[in-house]
Amino acid sequence: MFRTRLRVLLFFMSGAIASATASDFAILPEGIALGYRGAIHTVLVEQRANDSWTGDITGSATFVSANPAVATVDAHGVITAMGDGETTITATVNGQSAATTVTVSGAGAPYTQSFRNHVQPVLFKMGCNTGACHGAAAGKNGFRLSLRGFDNDWDHKALTRQAGSRRVSLASPESSLILLKPVMDIPHEGGERFTKDSEAYRILRDWIAAGAPPARAEDPRVAGLEILPQSVVLSNNAQQQFLVRARYTDGTLEDVTRWAKFGTTDDSVLAVDEGGKATVSGSGAAAITVYYASQVTFARAIVPREKPVDAALFASAERRNYIDELILKQLEQLRIAPAVPSTDTEFIRRATLDAIGLLPTPDEVTRFVLDPDPNKRDRLVDSLLTRPEFVDYWTYKWSDLLLLSSKNLPRREELNSFYRFIRERVEKNQPWDQFVRDILTATGSTLDNGAANFFAMHQETVDLTETTSQTFLGFSITCARCHNHPMEKWTQDDYYGMANLFSRVKLKNGRRGNDAEVFSDSFGDVIHPRLGVPLPPKPLDGEAIPLAQAGDRREYLAQWLTAPENPYFTRSIVNRVWKNFMGRGLVEPEDDLRLTNPPSNPELLDALAADLVEHQYDLKHLMRTIMDSTAYRRSSQPSDPEDPDGKQYSQYIVRRLSAEVILDIYAQVTGVPTRFDGYPEGFRALQLPDSQAGSYFLTAFGRPQRNQACSCERTTGSSVAQTLHVANGDTLNGKLRDERSLVASLMRQNASDDDALDTIYLRALARMPNPEEREAARGVFASLPTEGPDCEAERRAALEDLAWAVLSGKEFLFTH
Amino acid sequence: MFRIDANKPVQFCDGLSRRDFLHAGALAAMGLTLPGFLGLKSAGAVSPDKDMNCIFLFLVGGPSQLDTFDMKPDAPAEIRGPYKPIPTNNPDIQISEIFPNLAKHADKFSIVRTLHHKAAGVHDTGHQMMQTGRLFQNGMEHPHAGCVLGYLRGSRNSLPPHVMMPRPIGPTGGNMPHGQTAGFLGKSFDPFLLNAEPDQPGFEVPDLLPPDYISSARIDRRRKLREIVDQSVAQLEANPDARLLDENFQQAYTLMSSETAREAFDLAQEPDVLRQAYGMNKFGQSCLLSRRLIERGVRFCTVNMFETVFNEITWDIHGSAPFSPIECYSDLVGPMLDHGLGTLLEDLKQRGMLESTLIVAMGEFGRTPKINPAGGRDHWPQVWSILMAGGGIQGGRVVGKTDDIGAFPVERPTTPAEVVATVYHCLGIDIETELPGPGKRPIPVVDYGVKPIEELL
Repeated sequence: MFRTRLRVLLFFMSGAIASATASDFAILPEGIALGYRGAIHTVLVEQRANDSWTGDITGSATFVSANPAVATVDAHGVITAMGDGETTITATVNGQSAATTVTVSGAGAPYTQSFRNHVQPVLFKMGCNTGACHGAAAGKNGFRLSLRGFDNDWDHKALTRQAGSRRVSLASPESSLILLKPVMDIPHEGGERFTKDSEAYRILRDWIAAGAPPARAEDPRVAGLEILPQSVVLSNNAQQQFLVRARYTDGTLEDVTRWAKFGTTDDSVLAVDEGGKATVSGSGAAAITVYYASQVTFARAIVPREKPVDAALFASAERRNYIDELILKQLEQLRIAPAVPSTDTEFIRRATLDAIGLLPTPDEVTRFVLDPDPNKRDRLVDSLLTRPEFVDYWTYKWSDLLLLSSKNLPRREELNSFYRFIRERVEKNQPWDQFVRDILTATGSTLDNGAANFFAMHQETVDLTETTSQTFLGFSITCARCHNHPMEKWTQDDYYGMANLFSRVKLKNGRRGNDAEVFSDSFGDVIHPRLGVPLPPKPLDGEAIPLAQAGDRREYLAQWLTAPENPYFTRSIVNRVWKNFMGRGLVEPEDDLRLTNPPSNPELLDALAADLVEHQYDLKHLMRTIMDSTAYRRSSQPSDPEDPDGKQYSQYIVRRLSAEVILDIYAQVTGVPTRFDGYPEGFRALQLPDSQAGSYFLTAFGRPQRNQACSCERTTGSSVAQTLHVANGDTLNGKLRDERSLVASLMRQNASDDDALDTIYLRALARMPNPEEREAARGVFASLPTEGPDCEAERRAALEDLAWAVLSGKEFLFTH
Repeated sequence: MFRIDANKPVQFCDGLSRRDFLHAGALAAMGLTLPGFLGLKSAGAVSPDKDMNCIFLFLVGGPSQLDTFDMKPDAPAEIRGPYKPIPTNNPDIQISEIFPNLAKHADKFSIVRTLHHKAAGVHDTGHQMMQTGRLFQNGMEHPHAGCVLGYLRGSRNSLPPHVMMPRPIGPTGGNMPHGQTAGFLGKSFDPFLLNAEPDQPGFEVPDLLPPDYISSARIDRRRKLREIVDQSVAQLEANPDARLLDENFQQAYTLMSSETAREAFDLAQEPDVLRQAYGMNKFGQSCLLSRRLIERGVRFCTVNMFETVFNEITWDIHGSAPFSPIECYSDLVGPMLDHGLGTLLEDLKQRGMLESTLIVAMGEFGRTPKINPAGGRDHWPQVWSILMAGGGIQGGRVVGKTDDIGAFPVERPTTPAEVVATVYHCLGIDIETELPGPGKRPIPVVDYGVKPIEELL
């Protein structure tokens, strides 16, 4: 009874920073319970300052156990259970001490290694059941284990029953092949995996000696992982050991550091070795990811820049909403100074491009700059969110997400119907959760209900399962189709439980001959390929419903998927919208929300998600919140040239505009619309429902094909093909030469040199030319003939060249 | 000498304004060069330019070892598949009947039959490893071997050091990078992408030349004006993506003003009969274009046989839609490789270029030994075969041996990293050369300890 309470207490305390003591370091974890004689647990000695863990000093500590009959401790902080009772382990560094208690129980009883919890982790860590060895689909040399041990029954049988039971010899454990081969007593293609004096060897031998029992239903299972320290601030060149504990369903905790697999999200900040020791290589924020027994977790490490930043800078920095609080907090930790505010012209250009994909007109720029209202930026944001072009822009964005193209929906009417469905909902700012529910539960004719086309495009349950999670949850579960996901917690059972939610949605020919009808049937199940039976429909980590339950299973899926408690759904849309404005997702890539790919600022992503839930999935609220923040309104000029990328939003992140936006603003500035085959003149690229609409320009600049739900389809990099096209192709040149172009009208109006120049700059860059630019342009004008037959043509060419120079520059093609 | 484009008026392809422009040489005289490489020749890290070149023929989709270069005629029907082996001009080598032309060149190429990798069996991982020698982990993107060569050696002339054609590999299902860029070396060293179909009538590099109505004087004026406008926003100078735009403009100008470039990409100058021999398809004409480009100074060409594995006939013979059926090996895909590669070997040999041009024809993995219920074969990274020729590779050899059903290596297993090490070795790059990784951390071109495949040398 007492122990259970203690465990619960320890569980709550272990992740957080324990109560303050006099010393400036502590032993982690505080309070250790060991359940059998010989059980091992390692401790860390961790420095602390300002409520943060700040460095691993285990190596300089000396350890003493108050009662070695209960537990011993070695020089590295490894504790071994010896006998029942309680003892204190004390670590001393430079005369100061910190302590932790160790409680040992069950030391008198014989202990059997559990197949599930001890043998499988050994096989995993030693690489036996990886895809490269016996975990391959075909096994290795006749011996096949399930990949990373996801199938206990199979693996137990493979070890104990196959190969004439020589793999495991109950009569003589040391003669078992699974011990002889990995120590290379007899040849093993996989080489030496461990030695006879290793713990791995001991665990396998003891398990065999105990009769090689299979996994028992009553064995506790791993319910989750803990990593210590959960968050740490490290200095350059520091090393930090991480500890991983498995939390079992019976509440016990076990140190599994030596059996876990580690990774890092950013090699340039730190690297981590097989044993969980991280070495800092540069400043920045990174996560250390851990995989153990199909569970994953991560710790966060922050490595501040060495150069100090004046604390007053942060104290006085403007905080317009919670976004600023959370970004500044992280910047202060990293010692990155925030950039100065953007100018009015920078802001109106950026905000208009980011929200509606167009440039502000010269008139809008002038009025905005001259407007004395201190709240004019807020007002601008409000007005942008109500512009008709806002609807075009965001309809296009969700059309990318939902893969609208005539390749996927060859019948034009169906494509248009889906497009209209999206457009109407963007127009009325339908809450995102309702929008997604309408899609996932769509029924009826593909012409009457545009969303029904989702099921016309994705007819296979496999495709529906994978597309749904990638599109709306922001992660891929494709790996789990064939085996448990190797890097994530998703199992093959999760996958087929999820797939079975789509098994009854069916399609028949519509009544109109050019449509299809989506309906929910009353029978049909997806068979789990390994088990050979259908699994009860279950949305990934949600609750299953009975196979026999009547009704449209998709309703249940949609309810689970869009529930505010579903952490992926809200974060996924928040991250997509955030990236649109801030230039870099809190999670990158924007649709890779794996647990092992944690956000650069988890608190901020959580806060944004909570805010969106609180505001009933009102995306305009989210956009407004982002655009209202000081972070969005900062200059793109780095405050420190050594931090040009602004990963932590210390400045507005510079990036190239999308293919569609560039093409549209070429049309906007030159006044010459782009012509797309099959669409009326004046149709902008952002108004196209079909990603197949022909355009060399859009292809060269990275328009996505919309073949697969993946943000990787869109590219925004620069290439020589693009620059050649801008220089020599007919897109920009064609517009400049057109008789309707800005240049032509400047000629007709007999605009003066300066007027012509100002007009071009204001329209394209939302600013006036600077003195050098004016000088250069005057030089061009001065070189022109003032009379003669070529006089007009020469002036026209000069104006075209001036406009070309502006429209091909970084300042025009980038948002900043 | 005129051509007709669908959306352009008839024009002379050597129109006066173009010639003026090219002859003026104004841009070349301005000292415009390809980005950055000149100062980057790392002293001593590379042996003097051995003038070696390389062509990667990436057989995207993953050819089946059992139906191409590692036949198992004695295996059961569901293993050996529909094709029979044929003899080659080397008595020790038999290959699939789908390659009658290649069978005449087995003295020139060698086969490595024991490639294997241990990563996830998806296309993307194999693309990464075969082109960079490494699996991408911990957020690190390694550079393509051709980009490393470009980084270390720069251009020979106005042509880019590394050209990829006809297009880069698109998404193939894994949503991962394909190892076809310069990775951590920076986008300046990305390959030049052709982005056009060289088998199309009137093929040319899109927008390589200025239109007639833009004279060389105007090009010059535009360039100068653009530079002035571009200097006005300082924060853009600090941004690598923005700087890359300028570098790409410079590279574009170099190409535009280069007669060599114009001539190099002009496939129409090749005799019709030779074009036919290479095969009038994207792959065949890309093989031919590679030869033309290497002849004129390009160091490395990467030919992607396909851009995707979906809804296209490729080596990815799962047997069911949207993938390909096994029959496509004899109907379409096999003959394309047979003509393209066979003619390339012959052509290079005749021109005396084979000794200085390494060819690697490779897929990203093999295929399941047992034919699946759809009549196809699925992914199988446990073993596959690749072909190497020229550039210091001894012809007529077979490296490694697989088991009776072509499922696993039994002798001399080889890895993608060893192939890439072999490529570097043949190109005269010390395999211990270090590249500047993220955070200036030195990264060797291949992992320490990885060696070239000696049996080929």
